[in-house]
Amino acid sequence: MTDAAALSVSALPAGALPRSRGYLATVRRRLRYDYVTLFFLLVILLIAGAAIFAPLLTPIDPLKTSMAFRLKPIGYRNFLLGTDELGRDMFSRLLHGGRMSLLMGVVPVAIASVIGSCLGVIAGYAGGKINTAIMRTVDVFYAFPSVLLAVAISGTMGGGVANGLLALTLVFIPPICRVSETATNQVRHLDFVDAARASGAAAYRIIFYHVLSNIAAPVFIYASSLISVSILLAAGLSFLGLGVTPPTPDWGQMLANLRQAIYVQPLVCALPGIAIFVTSLSFNMLSDGLRQAMDVKS
Amino acid sequence: MSMTESDFTSARPRLDTVPAGDPRDRGGKAQPLLIVENLAKHFPIKNGLFGRKRGAVRAVDDVSFVILKGETLGVVGESGCGKSTLARLLMRLMPLTDGHLVFDGDPVEALRGLSLKEFRRNVQMVFQDSSSSLNPRMPIIDSVAFGPRAHKVKRSAARRAAAALLEKVGLSPAMFGGRYPHELSGGQKQRVNIARALALEPRLLILDEAVSALDKSVAAQVLNLLRYLKRHLNLTYVFISHDLGVVQYLSDRILVMYLGQVVEIGPAADVYSAPKHPYTQALLASQLSMDPGRRIEQAPVSGDPPSPANPPSGCRFHTRCPFSEAVCAAKAPAFGDAMDAAIHLARCHLTDPTSGHSLAGSALSSLRITAPETSAA
Repeated sequence: MTDAAALSVSALPAGALPRSRGYLATVRRRLRYDYVTLFFLLVILLIAGAAIFAPLLTPIDPLKTSMAFRLKPIGYRNFLLGTDELGRDMFSRLLHGGRMSLLMGVVPVAIASVIGSCLGVIAGYAGGKINTAIMRTVDVFYAFPSVLLAVAISGTMGGGVANGLLALTLVFIPPICRVSETATNQVRHLDFVDAARASGAAAYRIIFYHVLSNIAAPVFIYASSLISVSILLAAGLSFLGLGVTPPTPDWGQMLANLRQAIYVQPLVCALPGIAIFVTSLSFNMLSDGLRQAMDVKS
Repeated sequence: MSMTESDFTSARPRLDTVPAGDPRDRGGKAQPLLIVENLAKHFPIKNGLFGRKRGAVRAVDDVSFVILKGETLGVVGESGCGKSTLARLLMRLMPLTDGHLVFDGDPVEALRGLSLKEFRRNVQMVFQDSSSSLNPRMPIIDSVAFGPRAHKVKRSAARRAAAALLEKVGLSPAMFGGRYPHELSGGQKQRVNIARALALEPRLLILDEAVSALDKSVAAQVLNLLRYLKRHLNLTYVFISHDLGVVQYLSDRILVMYLGQVVEIGPAADVYSAPKHPYTQALLASQLSMDPGRRIEQAPVSGDPPSPANPPSGCRFHTRCPFSEAVCAAKAPAFGDAMDAAIHLARCHLTDPTSGHSLAGSALSSLRITAPETSAA
């Protein structure tokens, strides 16, 4: 390179820089050809749409009981998916139950992601004694199996949606914290963080611009895989009578109540289970696809 | 540009590289840009469960030298001698065990001195690994603009400055500004790193193996860029490398490190033509020659350097030195006044006629290097 070349200054329109294809665009492009992931994304969107618009899609009240039409098979009269042991419409209850299950699946993971990654980033970036204090505390919670911990917390605090959400949130903070701490620790020792420190930037600024962008992908992928776990745990809680209280429909609770009727109407009884299975499978497949699409090359 | 372009026949380093009237100059021409005094970094070795301190790796041990305004100080030494630790200490990226820095007359992080943030504005660093030193999730123009943004420069102004800097290091901002690091080659990334280091308008640039990872042809381009930038931006360089040829090409003065200590320091021409320390002599002899007739048959120094956790007694080089005598193991050689940049110093008993070494006072070039005795441990 000659001095002359370096000296040539082209007129540069301020602020108008052609941007190269960004990271998100790359992810989107990769996802566009991943038909399996797209299919499961579609399934999730359908389930979510059905749950959100449940009141519009279901002509029958999910809480209306009828002694005359108990445990009717799929397609009986205007009961699209049959009725349960109290004669309530299964189609309506499944859609309404989906609202609760998705709520219990997504909200605890979302809250735990925020809290857990904050703790993890602080622990990972600060290191030393702060790291030990945060991570060992988290380890205490992590030592319990998640089902046991969820049952213990919501058992102590009693049933109800709010307590169930709280219990699940507490269950998911430790694993997310650990993932973000590990990711932060890897990033912290890279030269670009040192370069940022050398520029005199404050810690919060370095974390915001340099650390978060690099740990977002692993944390996001991990959290999305936890959604299916959360749905299953929520179902388990309401199956045990914790979490969602009757008569609000919820897949786990429906499964628990219908299991006595398994010999009378096996197909109808299996429906909540199938719903749980399909939803959690879809979230798992989606997170797997995202992991591949968001794979970084540095 | 030939290697012999920089001709330093005079013993006194040239100060005329400092242009008159740099508005940032505070101490005047004669005031060294950076005084490094008794710098030390010991990494504790911890034991078992409770982390009791068992000892320390003396990565940098009692290092003193000065950096003159406008010069390029080359730092050489083999792997593990503390070069990179020295760079990080100068940049204050890790806490010092001991010692202090004086930047252009102002003590760093002392009462009535320069704050760390101010110091870092004036001293910047280019890292060796050009890929890990750029955030993979940030367009390079934002990487360059990050430093000024941290110093409260407005976003648009910082980006404009970053674009101008990219232009200066030979990357068209319109073409490259929005790109991510993985879309650039190694040489281009290193140019971005240089631009990023320059964004805060530093006066001292620490180049830690800045071209070592690059192909020879690309390294040559980057070296020429560095020379150009130094002239145009009134920079002072600390150039750290294990490549003696590159250091010779760029440096005005040379500092040789061995096991965390400065073993020799002096004007580049003197150090290269007449090394005073046997270690420097061996380093220079280990350079591969372009002439097949001058092929090196035998390694000038054998063995690995001793552990810096447990350095040898006396002179630290005596375990591998071809001229080692009893006195070398018994007492550490004296080192002259490291604050005088003009003199050529070596930490060796041979340079001190009163040291008691049988060959003391004789010029090193007149002594023949023999293979070091293996029993000399």
